Amino acid sequence: MTTTAPPAGPAVGDARLSALHVLRSEWIKLRTLRSTWWCAALIVVLSVLFGLLIAAFINRDGSTLPTAAQDGDLVAVVTIGTSFTQLIAAVLGVLVISGEYGTGMIRSTFTAVPNRLPAVFAKLVVLAVSMVVVGLVAVALTFAATAAILSGHGIGARLGDAAVWMPIVGSAVYLALVAVLAFAVGALVRNTAGAISAAIGLLLVLPILLTVAIGLTQATWLLNVNALLPSAAGAQLHAYAAPGGTVTGPGGRGPVQATADVVLNGWGGLGVLVAWILVLLAPALVLIRRRDA
Amino acid sequence: MIRLERLTKRYGDKTAVDDVSAVIEPGRVTGFLGPNGAGKSTTMRMIVGLDRPTAGTALVNGKRYAEHRAPLREVGVLLEARAVHPGRTAANHLLAVAATHGIPRTRVEEVLGLTGLSAVANKRVGKFSLGMGQRLGIAVALLGDPRTLILDEPVNGLDPEGVLWVRHLTRALAAEGRTVFLSSHLMSEMAQTADHLVVLGRGRVLADAPIADVVAGATQGVVRVLTPDPDRLDQAVAGTGVTIRRTDDGALEVIGATAAQIGNAALAAGVALHELTPVNASLEEAYLTLTQDDVEYRETQGAVR
Repeated sequence: MTTTAPPAGPAVGDARLSALHVLRSEWIKLRTLRSTWWCAALIVVLSVLFGLLIAAFINRDGSTLPTAAQDGDLVAVVTIGTSFTQLIAAVLGVLVISGEYGTGMIRSTFTAVPNRLPAVFAKLVVLAVSMVVVGLVAVALTFAATAAILSGHGIGARLGDAAVWMPIVGSAVYLALVAVLAFAVGALVRNTAGAISAAIGLLLVLPILLTVAIGLTQATWLLNVNALLPSAAGAQLHAYAAPGGTVTGPGGRGPVQATADVVLNGWGGLGVLVAWILVLLAPALVLIRRRDA
Repeated sequence: MIRLERLTKRYGDKTAVDDVSAVIEPGRVTGFLGPNGAGKSTTMRMIVGLDRPTAGTALVNGKRYAEHRAPLREVGVLLEARAVHPGRTAANHLLAVAATHGIPRTRVEEVLGLTGLSAVANKRVGKFSLGMGQRLGIAVALLGDPRTLILDEPVNGLDPEGVLWVRHLTRALAAEGRTVFLSSHLMSEMAQTADHLVVLGRGRVLADAPIADVVAGATQGVVRVLTPDPDRLDQAVAGTGVTIRRTDDGALEVIGATAAQIGNAALAAGVALHELTPVNASLEEAYLTLTQDDVEYRETQGAVR
């Protein structure tokens, strides 16, 4: 420890803010917290475990089935975990922002990046890209882990077919979008517990409540609302759609309710989910700019 | 240089910072004094844009903080509230902040060494003591080798060695021509560190002057007198503008007369003097005199508010 003023090298003199620098900073922040790695590991492990579980339950001979049914089973097995791993993606999305508000770290962030929004956009980019990567690792490992079981049932692995690889990749994209949606909730609420509750309520509890209500009332408008919820719309991103055939959800949930007027395909589901994100993110960004940190 | 122009912050109907104007000059240590709740931290947070002023502006080196191309090169700030994620190590926290400006890793290692944190650089901040947390905050403030330093209660939680180190560091930074703006509730520390004082009470500036002027202006000279015949001395010295108190040890404290006047009066009245001592006003007294009407949280005896 010295008592003299700091000698600063010439490199410090060139220092300045830039979008790339801020992106790098947010990547350092994301990878230097244990919670990030816990969430990533859980997503991969749960995806593989649920894939194995469903694969083990297959009791039909795939070789006698039409190609579309085999493809449907393959997609279902590889992406079944998404229904659960989405919740972990949501938790991570909330933590990335609420964790900073909760600990006071946000003050360091906004002191270094006083215009604030570049830091927020950098967080979103880093979060979304990492979630896509983690999601891809998860489905790749799930595919590898279940390949032997599936081929034992005579189910082919036509990964080259767009109807097969698109929902598998789509599950990784879905995780990223859910994380971004949860980030918006976290930015609005700022409190970790509250934001996680709100995000899980939106993704998991609301659909259950609506399903109960639909069972009781058989109301078409409730079916339409249900189909437009983030998790239901987003499920179309990782659902197998037989070319020209009916749409089936993960795990072979069967055709989408025929009585609903709203029937989304993968792109429609993507559009609805992105709309949800924009509706929540826009006020979040305004508040981040305006509120005292 | 920091220029505060009619800076005001209100929370609802409570005014935390009330029309504050001041210029914090480079090349000296400016102390920022005031009771708890006087608005010191809020003022400092407004300077770096964490809090949005209700009215007025704060300029650093001629611009609003957020308008600078490299804010960390202009201002290094240590906030009173913790501003670190406890799950991250000290080195990673510094690397993350440094990365926003492309400040190289070598500089991170430099400030870790400078603040005495090299040995604990890879320890999680959540395990840090208050003093280590303060050192990390100072390390962050120094990261960009800034022209202006804003330190909110920097010696809070530091051991005596650390207090001394902060004093030397801030003096050295000011001697290099940097602006150093330092808040502290430790009057004695401020007396040894600051050249200039801005005193805040209930959000308003009570004094903005060199430290000696604040002391001289806020307190009257007191002369301590010891005599075997206090009653006669009392009569001899009494006059307009002179106040005399008796202390517990039997001495007199005379306010409003110089030691020379008292000595002459005693000689004329034939009163023996055993002691005649001008008592220098301390910064502590000056501060208490200035802020006595402006304490936000004063103990109320027996009363429940």
